[in-house]
Amino acid sequence: MGERNANTLTNESQKVLEMLGIDKRFQGVHALKECTFELRKGEVHALVGENGAGKSTLMKILTGIYQPDKGEIVYNGKKVHFRTAKEAQVAGISIVHQELNLMNHLTAAQNIFVGREAKGFMTDDRVINERTRKLFDSLNLNIKPTDKISFLTIGKAQMVEIAKAISFEANILVLDEPTAALTISETEELFNMMNELRAKGVSIIYISHRLEEIEVMADRVTVMRDGQYVGTLVMKDATLDQIIKMMVGRTIYEEPKTKSHVKPDAPVVLETKNLSSPLVKDVSFLLRQGEILGFAGLIGAGRTEVARLVIGADRRFRGDIFVSGRQVNIKCPKDAVSHGIGYLSEDRKRYGLALGLSVTDNAMLASLDDYASSGFINQRKCEQETYKYIKSIDIKTPSSRQIIRNLSGGNQQKVVIAKWLIKNCDILIFDEPTRGIDIGAKSEIYKLMNDLVNRGRSIIMISSELPELLRMSDRIIVMCEGAKTKELDISEADSEIIMKYATLNDVGGKKHG
Amino acid sequence: MKKIITVSLAAMLILSGCGSAPPTKSQANGSSSATAGAQPYVAMDAKGFQFQYWQVVEKGAQDEAKKLNIKITFQGPDNESDVAQQVDMVNADLAKKPAALCLAALSTTALSSQLSKAKSMGIPVIGFDSGVPNDSSGALVATAATDSVKAAAMAADHLFDNQDFKAALTKATTANPVVIGVLSQDATSASIIQRTTGFINEMVAKIQSEPNFANAVEVTGQKKYNKASSSPAKVNIAVSIPPSTVQSDVQNSAQQLLNQKNLIVIFASNEGAADGMLSATNDGSDLNRSTGKYKNLLVVGFDAGKNQKAAVKSKEFLGSITQDPYTIGVDAVLLASKAIKGEPVSNIDTGAKWYDSTNMDNPDIAQLLYN
Amino acid sequence: MVNGEKSGVLEAIRRSGLQKLLALGALLIMCTFFSIFGQNFFSHSAFMNILDASYYIGFMAIGQTFVIITGGIDLSVGTVMMSGALIGGVAYNVWHWPIAFCLVVIVIVATIFGLINGLLIAKLHLPPFIVTLGTQFISLGFGSIVAEVQTQQYPTVNQADGWFKTAFYRTQGGFPMGAVFLLLFFIAAYILLTRTKLGRYTYAIGSNEEAARISGINIDKWKVIVYVLSGFSAGLAGILYAATYTTIVPQTGNGLELYAIAAVVIGGTSLAGGVGSLVGSLIGVFIMTVLKDGLMSMNMQSQWQIFFTGVVVILAVLLDIYRSKKAAQVKN
Repeated sequence: MGERNANTLTNESQKVLEMLGIDKRFQGVHALKECTFELRKGEVHALVGENGAGKSTLMKILTGIYQPDKGEIVYNGKKVHFRTAKEAQVAGISIVHQELNLMNHLTAAQNIFVGREAKGFMTDDRVINERTRKLFDSLNLNIKPTDKISFLTIGKAQMVEIAKAISFEANILVLDEPTAALTISETEELFNMMNELRAKGVSIIYISHRLEEIEVMADRVTVMRDGQYVGTLVMKDATLDQIIKMMVGRTIYEEPKTKSHVKPDAPVVLETKNLSSPLVKDVSFLLRQGEILGFAGLIGAGRTEVARLVIGADRRFRGDIFVSGRQVNIKCPKDAVSHGIGYLSEDRKRYGLALGLSVTDNAMLASLDDYASSGFINQRKCEQETYKYIKSIDIKTPSSRQIIRNLSGGNQQKVVIAKWLIKNCDILIFDEPTRGIDIGAKSEIYKLMNDLVNRGRSIIMISSELPELLRMSDRIIVMCEGAKTKELDISEADSEIIMKYATLNDVGGKKHG
Repeated sequence: MKKIITVSLAAMLILSGCGSAPPTKSQANGSSSATAGAQPYVAMDAKGFQFQYWQVVEKGAQDEAKKLNIKITFQGPDNESDVAQQVDMVNADLAKKPAALCLAALSTTALSSQLSKAKSMGIPVIGFDSGVPNDSSGALVATAATDSVKAAAMAADHLFDNQDFKAALTKATTANPVVIGVLSQDATSASIIQRTTGFINEMVAKIQSEPNFANAVEVTGQKKYNKASSSPAKVNIAVSIPPSTVQSDVQNSAQQLLNQKNLIVIFASNEGAADGMLSATNDGSDLNRSTGKYKNLLVVGFDAGKNQKAAVKSKEFLGSITQDPYTIGVDAVLLASKAIKGEPVSNIDTGAKWYDSTNMDNPDIAQLLYN
Repeated sequence: MVNGEKSGVLEAIRRSGLQKLLALGALLIMCTFFSIFGQNFFSHSAFMNILDASYYIGFMAIGQTFVIITGGIDLSVGTVMMSGALIGGVAYNVWHWPIAFCLVVIVIVATIFGLINGLLIAKLHLPPFIVTLGTQFISLGFGSIVAEVQTQQYPTVNQADGWFKTAFYRTQGGFPMGAVFLLLFFIAAYILLTRTKLGRYTYAIGSNEEAARISGINIDKWKVIVYVLSGFSAGLAGILYAATYTTIVPQTGNGLELYAIAAVVIGGTSLAGGVGSLVGSLIGVFIMTVLKDGLMSMNMQSQWQIFFTGVVVILAVLLDIYRSKKAAQVKN
């Protein structure tokens, strides 16, 4: 790790960028509220906040991908307005997005210079290979310009993308979660590179969930929450606890559960031992009858992957699954359903619903075998059964024949729930159950979940919203990087401790805790 | 670039390796076909394999080949529109250096360079079935074929012997002309062109020799055959050629003819056309003499085949002309064997016969009617 | 880590090169096989026959390679080729234009169809499969309409305008001019694919269209150009087809595009886009024609040729999948 030279960065005149009063709405959602941000020459400036805090939106406005509704950007002392990403790039502001935007089948050099490989029609790879080699040399990168991206590790590909951004003579470089997919040694390489860029006077805006990394790399840190600017700290004077408090410090509208509602002698309905796959590391847990078991963690922590192993959607390398004490062999989602495990996807439009079909058709989708004889569906019985659930879980729809697409998000979610209830699933896995659902409907889903456990069903809830987890769960499992890092009874859980274990990371972990 | 040159050079080398064949092997083949004792090899390329007709030709050829101790291969393209495939086949056969080549050309023009090559290789070409019309290379030594013009004219003659036809014809007026339909399956095949021409010419000649019908016949529908009448037409000979030999297209063309007003006759010039005609008339039941939708329509076919035979038998067709496919096969191989030995050869007319419900069971006719 | 990675990269490169060699190896094995078991396959005239049959497929396959590398497909090339050749024939036989003009007509007609494909796909964002399926029928019908469903004959060697056959097909001495043209076009296309922006963007679009768009490339423009190129290639194929086979029958040509696509796929170009080479496609073309002529030399009828072509295509795709799986494993 390079030494920080933050102490030289106090002079106001070195300010390269100021974003003032930035406001942005997306179809009624107020994504950014009067947001402020300031960047100095040659600093690494971390931008942190929970998912949905508005970090990415702010950066997309800076780099010309989105246009602000209000506010102004002052760059090198001049007011600027970028209409496209290209304009920002030309002005010296480049962004490296979280997901790679490279052409896998092209070489590193071809990727870096795509769109500007030559003035004329003919290309000459020798020229761009040479320029790329110089660029890589200056960044101390050990990549051959002629290597195809598909033969590089994700880390190396990331470096190529950063080098591409730098090749536009960038003064400001935005890195959005650059380490999310990197190994430890790749992360170290990235940090070395960032240090060199900083030494050359490039200002870096660094978005990351990994507070340990921020502590090591950042000169200053700006915290955002709910689309608002919370504050900026000089890193060497700040503690991680301070930052976490600023991140989660919003008022939690729902009262957190204070103690578990599960009887201590409730039978175990689901147990896993050492579930493993490339993205999941030895995860074991139990679920008791009538329990809501929360899974906390950041995006990419492996929570959904655990769920997918449990329902057999992905192949597990290792690990056993027990349902009601009996070992079961789940090889595909159909097996899971037959053992009474239903999964409600975080992306219900893609995996949970057939949007063009009716409420009945969707609700009955998993149970048609029970409502058909010799291939013919008993439509009347289906309608009756669906109607029962429309009443009991209060799905707001003009009729059971309504096309799902026309229902609100909350009601769509309820139809998915109905589907699994009709199939007699006693174990329900909710993956981000309230994503894309407005506040009012959220509490209805919460109420329904509580009803379900009171009636003896058991729920696993994966959520990125801490207040929701704290309100609903009886027990919380915290995951980070595919591994279970902590299991907390609700009585001992709070935002800070969850956040701490969710960001627990092996890089520089020794410094903290 | 270097890599590509190496690779393409390598490919070229390999292929030209095949090209610069060791003379020993081809020599061996060539001589083996010439010397007595070893079987001479005759390649036969037909126009298709779709119809049983060709299988009867092949049977005749195989039987004769066995008798004369000749080895033959018999192939044809997937359908009778596929000129390119036949060109490739003839190419492949010439590469095998046959002692003689029997050919029913889909298009003489398309095969002109192959014919020149056969000529230069000293391979005699025997035409069979439609043969190789208008060959200018000199490779063609003789043809075993039906004289299609004569055969088709026979169909017109038999129509004139029919009382119903005569009655319908005399009713024709300039205000209300009658239509004689001609359904030809193919616009390229010489034999079908000849049949069409033979039928039309004979029909026109016969009708115009009738009193009050001088110059009152017009031919319409296809540029190739169109003929205006000098006085207002009382008879319209409508020619219909489907866009391809695919059965559905043939059926559509037949349907077009059936929709014509005052249609009295349809001449279907080969098995494909006859089959198309039958599928357009509900497998012939619309042609039933007493109950059919077109019960007064006279249909004359050409060639045989199971369906057409049944239609003739049940009088749905007035009658048909048959070639003698078996004899075509026999005579083609016979001509080839003579040509290989250097004996003089000349064209053989393999003959055609009129058949209808009255004579089709006679042994001399029945043996010509393949299924 | 660095070491392991390096050997992984080498491994992958070795593997990816392997398939090209495999295709070439398969070609060699087939040549050997047919030389032994075929009747007179190992001969000059059999070699010339293979060349004859490869010209039009070769031209179509070269254009098709560009299209498939972008992740698209052009199902119209076969009928577009025939449509061009048919209309060129009409220009010669009916309008009595000089033969040279008629040949230009072939290319223009085919190129226009390519342009229509390109515009519909790039500007209206319609799926290439549907668009080119549509133009397949349109070109099939259009040619027949113009030709009034009459078969068109091109002049033969000994006729007045027979020079066009000696120029494009074979000289009087039997030298295969078609092969020369195919090679020249191949080299031009090779340079286009590997040395120009067109080639670079062809790969870029197929590899990651969105990334290419973000990089400021005018995707629409280059897509149109790629389909125009495919039409143009089909036009050249039409000239070679007319020179080789002389007779153009209306309402034919559908199905021929599959030979071109099969050749491209056999040559290792991925239908998913981003990967592919013209060398592979050319080898693919020869695998197809050697198979065809080889089976004929064994007196196997066309139904067997069609059957085995299918087998070869599936083997090639299996190989491709196996290869990319291996590459993915190396990467992980």
